Amino acid sequence: MDVTLLKVTAVFYLLGTGSFIVYLVLPKALLSRLSPLILLGGFLIHTSALGVHFFQSGYPAVTQFREALSFYCWFMVGVYLLFQLKYHLTVLGCIIAPLAFLMSLAAFAFGVGTGELPPELKTYWLLLHVTLAFLGNAVFSLAFGVSLMYLLQEFQLKKKKTNVLYRLFPSLETLDRLNYVFLVWGFPLMTLGIITGSLWAGFRWGNYWSWDPRQISSGITWLLYGALLHGRITSGLRGKKAAVLTILGFAVVLGYFLLGGSVFPSRHAGSFE
Amino acid sequence: MPEEKIIVLGLNHQTAPVEVREKLAFERSALGESLKRLHSLSAVREGVILSTCNRVEVIAAAVDEQAAFREIKLFLSEQESEKKPGGLEDHLYAYSGGEAVRHLFRVAASLDSMVVGEPQILGQIKDYYTAAQEAGTVGTILHRLFHRSFSVAKRVRTETGIGSGVVSVSSVAVDRAKRIFDRLEDKTVMLIGAGKMGSLVVRYLQSSGVRSLMVTNRTFERAVELAEEFQGNPIRYEDFPRYLQMADVVIGSSGSPQILLRSETVRDALKERRQKAMFLIDLGVPRNFDPRIDEIDNAYLYNIDNLKEVADEKLRERSSEAQKAEEIVNEEVAVFLRWLSSLEQVPTIVALRQKLEEIRRGELEKSLSTSLKGLSEKEREALEDMTAAMISKILHAPITHLKKRPEDQDEELYIEALKKLFDLGEK
Repeated sequence: MDVTLLKVTAVFYLLGTGSFIVYLVLPKALLSRLSPLILLGGFLIHTSALGVHFFQSGYPAVTQFREALSFYCWFMVGVYLLFQLKYHLTVLGCIIAPLAFLMSLAAFAFGVGTGELPPELKTYWLLLHVTLAFLGNAVFSLAFGVSLMYLLQEFQLKKKKTNVLYRLFPSLETLDRLNYVFLVWGFPLMTLGIITGSLWAGFRWGNYWSWDPRQISSGITWLLYGALLHGRITSGLRGKKAAVLTILGFAVVLGYFLLGGSVFPSRHAGSFE
Repeated sequence: MPEEKIIVLGLNHQTAPVEVREKLAFERSALGESLKRLHSLSAVREGVILSTCNRVEVIAAAVDEQAAFREIKLFLSEQESEKKPGGLEDHLYAYSGGEAVRHLFRVAASLDSMVVGEPQILGQIKDYYTAAQEAGTVGTILHRLFHRSFSVAKRVRTETGIGSGVVSVSSVAVDRAKRIFDRLEDKTVMLIGAGKMGSLVVRYLQSSGVRSLMVTNRTFERAVELAEEFQGNPIRYEDFPRYLQMADVVIGSSGSPQILLRSETVRDALKERRQKAMFLIDLGVPRNFDPRIDEIDNAYLYNIDNLKEVADEKLRERSSEAQKAEEIVNEEVAVFLRWLSSLEQVPTIVALRQKLEEIRRGELEKSLSTSLKGLSEKEREALEDMTAAMISKILHAPITHLKKRPEDQDEELYIEALKKLFDLGEK
């Protein structure tokens, strides 16, 4: 993949992070408009980097672990920007932008080379599977963002001590509802991601489940989010508990990306035997 | 144009008790008349009356400052004597020039208000200014002064935090409610007890959108009365725990010495409402609600002290922001005074030029018709050019000096000196 483009992308995400943080301290309308635009700039460059790879090789850049991380990051920023367009929740960017920057940085930490995909894996299954799975992860990242905001806002209201975030953050009710919305979108996407991956593995290797670290972490997250969604719908599980569970689920997703995949060889990290 | 001074004469909540302010207040319906009377005073060129419940002031542009003060004082005491004569003198303040400008800017920016930062005063000033405009008592100077004061107020509002935030217990309660709930329009409030504070908070919540209200009281008749007053539904006291699950906001405002709401009751209600958040406001002293309610998830308990603390903190914050605001006012006063003195200096320069030009022309004509009679056309022209050049060279230094340093403190002094030295009396 074009390393220069990825580097420029990371620089943009860093600038975006800076702009969002300044916005926290100095909540001016200009910064509220500018910060997402900087992030959009990064996103477009990121898109071109991924696009170049896709058109040269014919498959998305996800065979290497670092590529997967970058791909995830791209989806997350994209989904956030779409969300921002509709809801103008600029403060959410204060969580997403640094996350995007750290993910881009982490991707570099795992090297810069491109992996080779065995030609027999170049199928539409790959595109379908990774798109669904990463889209699900991206939506969960936003769920994580609003949940973190929920906890911060709830803490201030309970402690009866407010700081600068109090005014910038929306109400608990709004944040809790967004948690639900993201869950409702993210969960089916993730489910489909797991199903397509599993079916593909079944056709290709003969076993649907191979206890690959990615599968294990996804399984845990899936169960966790499934239980959370179930609780939300049936028994009034909401507010702080829902926020904590969402953050936990996201920690598992991120934990895999930062630890699991790089340590254990797997089909999700460039070894296809 | 003769030099006009801006003056302010009036009293406010700091200098006069409410009885005095009331007596002096101008009737809105007769304002046009009063303004015309003010304008007819011989020393007053332009005038605006400002009369709110916290202040009565006359802002005027006058040539003779002392005479204007005398006349306006009389004007105000006439206004008062219609009711009852009293020692008005002691309560009046009088400002002129820069001090008067600063005063108006501070009033407009709500720095001189009883509740610093309250936003109503600007609207009131605009109102009274418009009334004066309609009555035809405003000219160039006050027009500019008031428009500047509006933009000063706007600057202070946007550049400092003075107008933001909340100060009363009721407004803090509504502010918190808005951070717990998305919107208040679809929320239900339950008021327990008939305390005054509780009614205030209910009123505030209703003006912020709340439509549905339940009222309960140990004496059911009182509950019915209150419910009627606020267009809510009365509930029998024994029944209120059953209805609790419907309430998003619960206000305790009873003088009861006992706890009215136990934490178990709230826990049950929350279970019933599937953990939808509840905001509980305990205004009772002693407490109406069990303090342990605060430990329950999705229940947010604020007592009167919590709310007061926030309100006080806001007040303190405002005073530090007020300093920033004062700096803005200072800046703007300087800008305005510069404009005012440029108004003054232009006619002086023109008068000076005219004076010298007259002298030149007079002397030239005199000489050309007597001792220099025999000069040719060409020589006459040369002489004309030479004298004109002399005048403009002489004037060059003083005029640039005047124009270059308009912010100079001694500005007025120079202009005054110039007028005296060259005998540039008004014509």
